[in-house]
Amino acid sequence: MTARRPRYKCLGYGNEKVGFLTDELLNLPPFGVAAASKAAALVPAVREELVHHFEHCPPFQRWCRHEGFDPRGDLEDLSAVPPLPAGVFKRLALCSVPQAQIVRTVTSSATSSQVPSRVPLDAVTRARQMRALGAILAHRLGGRRRPFLVLEAPPEAAAASDREISARVAGMRGYLLAATETQHVLRPDGGRAALDREKLVETVRQWTSGGQPFCLLGYTSVLYQQVLRPLAQQGFHIDLPDSTVLLHFGGWKRLAEQAVDKAALGALAADVFGLAPSAVCDIYGFTEQLGVVYPDGPDGLKRVPTYAEVIVRDPQTLEPLADGRTGLLEFISPLPHSYPGVAVLLDDLGRIVPGSAGPDGAEARALEIVGRVPHAEIRGCGDTLPPRG
Amino acid sequence: MKIRLLFDGDGPRIDSAEGPDAAPPLDSLPALVARLRAAGETLRRTAGDDLVGLLDAAARLWAGPEHPLAGFLRRHRLGFLPLWLRRGNLETIAARSLRGHPEALDGFVRLSPADPMLVRAQPRGLVVHWLAGNVPVLGMLSLAQSLLSKNANLMKVARASAGMLPHLLASLAEAVYTNRRGETLSGRILSDAAAVVYADRSDAEAARELSLAADARVAWGSLEAVETIANLPRRHGTEDVIFGPKTSLAVVGAERLGGPEAARRVAAALAADASAFDQLGCNSPHTVLVERGGAVDPAAFARLLAEAMEVEYRRAPLEQADPAATSDVLTARAEYAMRGQSYGSRGMGWTVLYADEDAGLAEPCFQRTLFVRSVADVFQVVPLCSPHTQTVGLAVDDRRGPLAEALTARGVQRCPAIGAMRLYETPWDGLFLMDRLVRWVSAA
Repeated sequence: MTARRPRYKCLGYGNEKVGFLTDELLNLPPFGVAAASKAAALVPAVREELVHHFEHCPPFQRWCRHEGFDPRGDLEDLSAVPPLPAGVFKRLALCSVPQAQIVRTVTSSATSSQVPSRVPLDAVTRARQMRALGAILAHRLGGRRRPFLVLEAPPEAAAASDREISARVAGMRGYLLAATETQHVLRPDGGRAALDREKLVETVRQWTSGGQPFCLLGYTSVLYQQVLRPLAQQGFHIDLPDSTVLLHFGGWKRLAEQAVDKAALGALAADVFGLAPSAVCDIYGFTEQLGVVYPDGPDGLKRVPTYAEVIVRDPQTLEPLADGRTGLLEFISPLPHSYPGVAVLLDDLGRIVPGSAGPDGAEARALEIVGRVPHAEIRGCGDTLPPRG
Repeated sequence: MKIRLLFDGDGPRIDSAEGPDAAPPLDSLPALVARLRAAGETLRRTAGDDLVGLLDAAARLWAGPEHPLAGFLRRHRLGFLPLWLRRGNLETIAARSLRGHPEALDGFVRLSPADPMLVRAQPRGLVVHWLAGNVPVLGMLSLAQSLLSKNANLMKVARASAGMLPHLLASLAEAVYTNRRGETLSGRILSDAAAVVYADRSDAEAARELSLAADARVAWGSLEAVETIANLPRRHGTEDVIFGPKTSLAVVGAERLGGPEAARRVAAALAADASAFDQLGCNSPHTVLVERGGAVDPAAFARLLAEAMEVEYRRAPLEQADPAATSDVLTARAEYAMRGQSYGSRGMGWTVLYADEDAGLAEPCFQRTLFVRSVADVFQVVPLCSPHTQTVGLAVDDRRGPLAEALTARGVQRCPAIGAMRLYETPWDGLFLMDRLVRWVSAA
């Protein structure tokens, strides 16, 4: 493969965008694309973005040169791309477009280190994130938008125009793009949010009587601490329709500290809402690669979508590991255009589950998140997506 | 309460590579303590010189390449242990620690000819040691000094290195020494006076009972660990010796950077210090402050140091990368590749980082990671130090005395030459351990 002329002109450099290979990639469905077809679309798109960052983000170019990697040359194997450790986004302000094009900066929660990742977004990146997230969510929810019962307090109006928002807020807004209607069932209560049980019951009654499938959506720790645990302690139970999906995101660190795992959360959801384990959907994602999310499938496994690839690396040698073996997770996606987050190495541990097709028979690699490296900082947010406008 | 017995006078209960769960539960802590105290009494009646002779005999055995322990020592990078246990070193430690009168361990002595008072160093009794998991050999060093002070010893080991000490003590039991009077002594005198146990850190009752059994408590470890131990109930009069967390650094003066060869020598010595114990010791350097003005500038020194780290790595690879540190090291490597200089092994073996604009001390990354930073004058290091600074390795010439004076006045515990940072010396952390493990008593 020889170096190709970019088919676009860079934004902000006196040129106008013509089209990106990533846009073509996003025209593909999120799942069910044959491996060869996926690689044929994904690898050139990744390379195109790497070239963009190489040419417009001098620190990234120094990183590539340090690693002996030149994206303008051949790229056949994504494992040859040197991944940036996610922690770099806490230490350095990395940007690949002029500052004037940054429409929003998203910050991670920085649960442990107190130093958040800062990810600058331009319109190109933001639009890609919306498309990717919308497609992945639609696939998980059966292609239909639904009413969302939001397990949060209503946001303050001013936050919508903030140039800097947290990944948690951005994530919530992103997921709500799939909503036909939203009802927030937590209310502010002396500095923290408390469940409005009457509103929850009434909203569920209305939507259920209308025969409309709906979703519950919440931050994982809030779902447990503010909703499931208190309701279970009160002996409260309400049977939600079988079509209901409970989406939660944000990671497990706070719950892990309380020895609450996925099974325990699922058991509580069954007790309180009568939901089957397949209806409780943990969504994995991270600030440094917004838009691509990894929801649990009905079988409890996460699938790698068309728009990304996952490489599991040995923590000692950093060499790629065979499917089935547990190591550090590297995520590759061409969505980031405004910052060089195309190949990111996290301190989350996981493995590719060998020999597992999608639950609907669609082709996709299955991913299991095993946990975090001990003492490493939890990733803050399931995923984020900036609001429109 | 669940205490597991890993070693006592009857020998080791687990293999060197096994975890503590393979060991049997301890039947009775009071019974074990009684046995140890009885063995301690035998120790008290044995001449100090004979105890030195026994440890020296064990060290000679272990130094032999054919000895079964030779491979074990090499694998665990304990090669210095047989040297540390030799007679010359032990006599020096005892003399330094006991006011120049190690014979006070055997009977009453006068500290000076003109002094009418007779003094004697009596053992404290039972010393309970809490050992850290990062540098488990420290347990052997504190145990040896406690045995020389004629104390019985109960060692509570960390899970990560539970099998090491039982293995060493089993071998100590096999030592034989014939003194000048022609009497032959067995290493059992020493090993019978030591037991190794394990209890989970969450087992508050076990921790309390161990603490209450102690006449002296010696604790190595993190701040959380040593504070937990210090806050355990204890009997009135129990002596505490706490070796808490500290950090170390190195300073290179411009006079030692007169040319590439001189700089390489400093780099080689520093690499050996940083690689020992995989940089987990409180005496391991993390930041290297290099004075500008030499023929080799700090950036060039960082390159030479990287070469030296690779040599050390090939000689003794990193034992095991810590996944928790991997992320920090990778992030630091990437950051410095973007804004400075970043050198590293292919995997996680070692890392050297430099950026012109960096100042002060770096947050340690471990995994044999060294941050090189430039200073205009070596004395600029002084305000960076505190009583939490364990060792400042020095590569300076004429300014060594004044610099060491300023650093130690600031709180630094040791100022050895670079290349000797990794040695475990007496005094340590501001005290003479043997001195703290005896009671100085007097008689007319």
